[in-house]
Amino acid sequence: MSHTQDKTSALGQGVLIFVYLAALTVLEYFVAVTFNAVSILVVVAVVKAALVMYYYMHIYKLNSSDGDDHNSYQYKTGTNRIGLWLFLLSDSFVFAGLMVMRANLLGLTRPHLNQLLGLAVTSVLLISSFFMNRGETAMAYGDKKAFMNNTLITFVLGLGFLIGVVFVEWPLAAHEGLTASFGNPASGPMGGVFYMMTGMHAFHVLTGLIFLLIVWNNARKGVYTAEKHWGVEAAAVYWHFVDLVWIFFYPALYLIGKAV
Amino acid sequence: MRHFVIVGILVIAMAVLTYVGLDAAGVASQMHPVAASAQAASIDQLWNWEIIAMSFLFALIVVPMLYSLIVFRRKKGDTTDAEHIEGNTPLEIAWTVGPLILVVFFAYMGAYSLGEVRRADPQAFEVKVKAQQFTWTFEYPEYGFVSTELRLPVGRQAVLKMESVDVIHSFWVPEFRVKQDVVPGRVTEYRITPTLPGSYKVRCAELCGTSHAYMESPIVVTTQADYDSWVAEQQALAAAAQTPEGQGQLLSVKNGCTGCHSLDGSALTGPTWFGMYGKEEELADGATITVDDEYIVESILDPNAKIVSGFPSPSVMPPYQFTDDELASIVAYLKTLK
Amino acid sequence: MKRFFSSAFSRGLLWQLIGTLAGAGLVTGIRALMGLSVTDTFFFTEPAWVLGGLVGAVSYLFGSGVTADWVKWARGMDTPEHPEEHFSGWEKYINVSLDHKVIGIQYTIVALLLISIGGLFALIFRTELAASELQFLTTDMKLFGQNGPQLYNTLMSLHGMIMIVSILLGIAGIMNYVVPLLLGAQDMAFPRLNAFSFWIAVPAAVLLLMSLVLGGFDTGWTGYPPLSARAPVGMQMFFMGVFVAGWSSILGALNVIATVLRMRAKGMTAWRLPIFVWASVATSIIALTATQLIGLSFQLVMFQRLFGMGFFDPAKGGNPVLFQHLFWFYSHPAVYVFILPGLGVISELLPVFVRKPLFGYRWIAMSSLGIALVGFVVWAHHMFTSGMNEYLRVPFMYSTLLVAVPTGVKFFSWVATIWKGKISTPTPMLFVLGGIVVFLMGGLSGPPNATVSTDLHLHDTYFIVGHFHDTIFGGFVFPFFAAIYYWFPKATGRRMNETLGKLHFWLMTPSFFVLTFGMMYIGLLGMRRRIVDYDPALGFDTTHLILTIAGYLIATSVLVFFYNFFNSIKNGEKADGNVWNSRSPEWQVPSPMPTHNYDQAFEVVGEPYDYGLEGSKYIEFSTSAKSKH
Ligand code: HEA
Ligand code: HEA
Ligand code: HEC
Ligand code: CUA
Ligand SMILES: [Cu+2]
Repeated sequence: MSHTQDKTSALGQGVLIFVYLAALTVLEYFVAVTFNAVSILVVVAVVKAALVMYYYMHIYKLNSSDGDDHNSYQYKTGTNRIGLWLFLLSDSFVFAGLMVMRANLLGLTRPHLNQLLGLAVTSVLLISSFFMNRGETAMAYGDKKAFMNNTLITFVLGLGFLIGVVFVEWPLAAHEGLTASFGNPASGPMGGVFYMMTGMHAFHVLTGLIFLLIVWNNARKGVYTAEKHWGVEAAAVYWHFVDLVWIFFYPALYLIGKAV
Repeated sequence: MRHFVIVGILVIAMAVLTYVGLDAAGVASQMHPVAASAQAASIDQLWNWEIIAMSFLFALIVVPMLYSLIVFRRKKGDTTDAEHIEGNTPLEIAWTVGPLILVVFFAYMGAYSLGEVRRADPQAFEVKVKAQQFTWTFEYPEYGFVSTELRLPVGRQAVLKMESVDVIHSFWVPEFRVKQDVVPGRVTEYRITPTLPGSYKVRCAELCGTSHAYMESPIVVTTQADYDSWVAEQQALAAAAQTPEGQGQLLSVKNGCTGCHSLDGSALTGPTWFGMYGKEEELADGATITVDDEYIVESILDPNAKIVSGFPSPSVMPPYQFTDDELASIVAYLKTLK
Repeated sequence: MKRFFSSAFSRGLLWQLIGTLAGAGLVTGIRALMGLSVTDTFFFTEPAWVLGGLVGAVSYLFGSGVTADWVKWARGMDTPEHPEEHFSGWEKYINVSLDHKVIGIQYTIVALLLISIGGLFALIFRTELAASELQFLTTDMKLFGQNGPQLYNTLMSLHGMIMIVSILLGIAGIMNYVVPLLLGAQDMAFPRLNAFSFWIAVPAAVLLLMSLVLGGFDTGWTGYPPLSARAPVGMQMFFMGVFVAGWSSILGALNVIATVLRMRAKGMTAWRLPIFVWASVATSIIALTATQLIGLSFQLVMFQRLFGMGFFDPAKGGNPVLFQHLFWFYSHPAVYVFILPGLGVISELLPVFVRKPLFGYRWIAMSSLGIALVGFVVWAHHMFTSGMNEYLRVPFMYSTLLVAVPTGVKFFSWVATIWKGKISTPTPMLFVLGGIVVFLMGGLSGPPNATVSTDLHLHDTYFIVGHFHDTIFGGFVFPFFAAIYYWFPKATGRRMNETLGKLHFWLMTPSFFVLTFGMMYIGLLGMRRRIVDYDPALGFDTTHLILTIAGYLIATSVLVFFYNFFNSIKNGEKADGNVWNSRSPEWQVPSPMPTHNYDQAFEVVGEPYDYGLEGSKYIEFSTSAKSKH
């Protein structure tokens, strides 16, 4: 497919991808509550991840030719892009490690959590990715105003996710008896795994939020243009990466296996 | 061509010399320390093959290197470059495929030898091994007694079911060749068929804390007859230990206390028990205290409550849980140690 | 002196001190408000030390000023692409510089410093081991809240980890200095990130050393729980030090890969890359990804200690063996991080000194990648006795042994390179040859560990200790020295003294053979690792004494090196030309190089190692001056 589109079709594509992702999430949830087939959940997560990586994080841009002048902005942006993706590759090993830990310690069981809340925060994060994509696309066409508005929405949704996990989900789970440790060995490693995984992810959400604030503020100062907005692209790709991680963590914590 | 012939001969000569030298040092076919188990035989055999291969490969690389260094070294005043040889694909393939075959062969041998080492004898008898900082205790469930030394009859497979109460330890008897970690929270298995009567030592091979170096216990391999009489002796001792003092002694052995507390006044990880009861003792915080029943009980249940001066804080000693009867018999036993 | 105290280095240390106290104070204050205990054996409580350590490390970075440009970027300001150097002479090296050559030298110096500290620790505990029974690390002694045997464990463990960190910095030093020069780049792809990667290693080293005085830790460099979950606070400082050092390694690797992908001179296609660049890429792939797992495994133990999360605590349903899997997933590939650059140096230098092309260039290049990739799937060979699932042992034996194949390709190709070469042996070449033989000994002692049944005997003995000192010295220490002797004239415009260099070599090499051969020998006979004292009945006293003497001789040779190194900076024989008559681009221009490397860009027009081919050229400088940046 061609990547040189006009603005409307670029925005339209964002909507389309969002609809796919939303549908897959619903499917996922439905599979989990009805017949809990792990293999289907894994396949759905992989498909979602592929969609996010290709359309929202535009991984194909790594392959773009940036001319011969090593000192041009374009060439440097290409280099930056490679640097960012290498960083994400590295970071994903942490999350992979956490997944291995989860698989080893919990196997086909999972903590007893509030399903609706899980679905809610997941949706919030997904929607935030949609607005992030809109914002970035707007900037790519030089629309600073739309960029700032969409980024602000993304920020608010991201903050909502963070609050939902840390200030609603955690106390609820603790109330249900899922403790990191203190005094309740009965929940076994379950609590430790749950707080560690969500905590590490929340930490990344927090850094992503800070990143969003920074680019928002810089946009306000007029730092970015349609041609030069690497900072915006980086913030967006990072934000989608945080979403990408959750695409795997959500089923791992809420959907796969039997709740105990 | 001449160079290749000379190098070929030298490689073989050096390989043989290396092997013979290593063998003379006792690390090839006649490996030290003596092999004292059936499992050791198959390990030593594989090892010997490996030494042969290593000697050869070492010579194969080092000899042509040294030969080139001497024969092809730069002559004085020569500033020209050497012959332009870029590579040789058949050669590269040869020295990829050759080693590949060799490693697959060794992997096969390794798996085979592992199978030998792990081969289970249905007649094997069981000993329960408990590891803790920094002692081993051995329970013979068949006979119902506990010992601080491991006795095994020669020629019969023993299967040790090993558990740790605190950190990871590792059961290793160099003469048996085999080693197995003892991991808290699971039971690991160690199968051994002793073949040579004698006295050995199990040496803990996994760093487990300050006194890891001293976590050694005697192992005696005897004939079946000697073994049987030892078992009878132990059973008699266990039966005799019906007095509180006897019970206390048994408990202290079973719980590994004597791994840290000596009975003869010598210094181990903890203070000696010899002459402890009734003694004035200085604590880490400067206070002094007389060792009485109450203090002993407190020291056992909560070692951190009072730390004896000169010992690290928090206490190295783990807290224990005993019934009141058991505590009383331990105290009674400690009183006898004068 | 005044300029030393106001340097980025010292300012950072001051900030680290303040940050540590502030972080610890904060936690202490909160604890006081919550009515929890506020002091412990080492003054602050454990959570206070942990937060203090973290805040301290971050403070160091801000204090040193390495983050200044990023802060400006975040505020929407622009910074000049290549800022002016504010400092000259020695001051350049203790202040923040963005020049990859300066950073490379900074890395190298810190690596040498850490080797000395780690080596000093080795000498201390080797002295204790010289005879059985306890000599001076007795149970009565008390230092830093530890008695003798505990201090032994701390010193031994820190020896291991400090040496490993020094290797990571050492290879980063060579890669930083050499890779952009070989590629014809002006600098690394991300100069600020590069400086950051270096400077973050300094607070990491401080954290590691703090563990020594905060009660130490007695787990070895591997830090296995449950033991590490019980050790004194020093354990946390150790974990954090490694964690922070890990970031240095990860970010440095990221930079190397990006540089190789993006900053090559015109015409430098994959098969025309200098071989050291291939090795650097292979190394960086490992360091970039696997390092995260040692960070994670240590972080999990830290959290287990701080919050009682039971990841590795069997009483809470955790699994101690899981830690070992996570840990070795990094720590095995890491050993190839140690050696691949070193083997790259060997491959890079050999053709220069034998005046022949590198035999089988492509095979050697691919073997680096092969080792790196296979190295990812062999980790459980450290766990053959660990009680992990039994069926895992055989597949891991096969994969481990497979690494011998690409490594063998390197060896055979080196021999073929040397064969019929016109060999000269100045100091760098001596270290190259020494490295080959030593690494061969180390490598060949690998397969016996890999075949499971023999490993049941060898595991956790001095045989292993001998194995890895051989591989590390052969794959890192010898090539590292070779690289220093070789590129010293490039960096300084002067040569190091040949006689002292040869003395260094001939003192170190035989002592080293004695050291490791002796280790393997007693290991086979029953000498366990990590013990402060050994049973006199084993009869190892004489051998141990010899090992200790050998250790001191190695240290002496290193002192000779240090003298030579620092003396030559000032007084060395002037050498600003192509000292070794190499074809490599960096030697085609006068030494030392200006800040942004080549004044004229070059184009690659031929093969890198065509020694002996009349009229063949590797690079050609373009006639027009390079565009200003
Ligand atoms: C630089 C570091 C380095 C390198 C390169 C290696 C290389 C290898 N290592 Fe080593 N190793 C360590 C550092 C290193 N190791 C360390 C630090 C430890 C201990 C960690 C700890 O517990 O503290 C360790 C421990 C260790 C163990 C665990 C032992 C134990 O604790 O029980 C094992 C087991 O398999 C092993 C195997 C190997 C193998 C097979 C190779 C191979 O890569 C070697 C390949 C090379 C050759 C084989 C030689 C050349 C090849 C030929 C000439 C071709 C022909 C050869 C054949 C056909 C065999 N190593
Ligand atoms: C780069 C890696 C590296 C290097 C270079 C060395 C170098 C040395 N090592 Fe090291 N060693 C390890 C890595 C390394 N080691 C690791 C990873 C372990 C495992 C730890 C564990 O089990 O957890 C280990 C363990 C280890 C043991 C086993 C301890 C035990 O199991 O109980 C022993 C025992 O002899 C030992 C000895 C030595 C000696 C004598 C040297 C000598 O070569 C040292 C020579 C001295 C120097 C190179 C320094 C010279 C400089 C000076 C003297 C100047 C000093 C002055 C100033 C500070 C300015 N080492
Ligand atoms: C890991 C080593 C270790 C083990 C095992 C151990 N102890 Fe101790 N013990 C110590 C140390 C160290 C001290 C001194 C520090 C202290 O007071 O806590 C000590 C102190 C004591 C004291 C006080 C001694 C005095 O002189 O004041 C008593 C009583 C005691 N232990 C009993 C026991 C009993 C009973 C057991 C077994 C059920 C046992 N110990 C097992 C290490 C150990
Ligand atoms: Cu138990 Cu070492
Ligand atoms: Cu390994």
